[in-house]
Amino acid sequence: MNRIHTKKLVFMALLTAIALTIFVLEAQIPPLAPIPGIKLGLANIVTIYAVFVLGAGPAAMILLSRIILGSLFSGGMTIFYSLTGGFCCYLIMLVMRKLVTGKQIWVCSVLGAVAHNIGQIIAAVFITQTPGVAAYLPVLLVSGILTGLFTGLCAQFLLQRIGGHTF
Amino acid sequence: MKSTRFWVILIAGLLVISGVFTALVAGQTSGTMANIYLDGKCIRSIDLSQSDDSYEFTVDSPTGSNTIQVEPGRICVSCAECPDQICVRQGWISASVMPIVCLPNRLVIQIEEQSKQSELDGVAG
Repeated sequence: MNRIHTKKLVFMALLTAIALTIFVLEAQIPPLAPIPGIKLGLANIVTIYAVFVLGAGPAAMILLSRIILGSLFSGGMTIFYSLTGGFCCYLIMLVMRKLVTGKQIWVCSVLGAVAHNIGQIIAAVFITQTPGVAAYLPVLLVSGILTGLFTGLCAQFLLQRIGGHTF
Repeated sequence: MKSTRFWVILIAGLLVISGVFTALVAGQTSGTMANIYLDGKCIRSIDLSQSDDSYEFTVDSPTGSNTIQVEPGRICVSCAECPDQICVRQGWISASVMPIVCLPNRLVIQIEEQSKQSELDGVAG
């Protein structure tokens, strides 16, 4: 039987709580630029950590819990953009996990951020039914690459310090 | 495993390409028609070059309302019932390629060459 051990479940719950705390705190920072979709994405540090340390399944559960709970805390009307972006990012990071070394985790994060932005814009085009929204993609990509580099390096240093802990 | 140099070049390339496209969309359009879309449907068109007085009106959506302000040659969202207020902070636009977007209320204001409002719905605007 494929069951989750209690210790692992507690660890996953803890990571979800950390990700949610970071998400809620980040939401208190006023938008960095008056452009919809631009943010630091600090909560993604936890997703990267989970993808590398716990693997695909637990990482997906942590991400999904964080997005649903996060949207409850922050108003909830943008959940579809977060979901689409979050899961595009997650899928790319799963693929990239096999292609990078421990010192290249930032690459995984940057490409994940790019996927997040593309997913987000596709969701926005579908939801608003207005193709003109896609004009925001290039500027989102520029910011996504930079913020993805930052969060990726955070996750990489984190993994180097406390990484080896697996269940 | 690819070398770090490979990834740096790939990501730098992506950054440059998106930078170039950002510069393109940061430009100006020659259109003067502000089309206001709610849920993909153009609910009102305002020719900014023809408007010579200032006024404001409110667009209601299921999730909240946006107050749109028009002045000769420019348009903005002055007030919005949404958590992030990004559409308000985008400020006045006159000929920008990038539309004003309020994602929570699914409202888009885009400057285009022509009115996208269908004739039949014209009276309702």
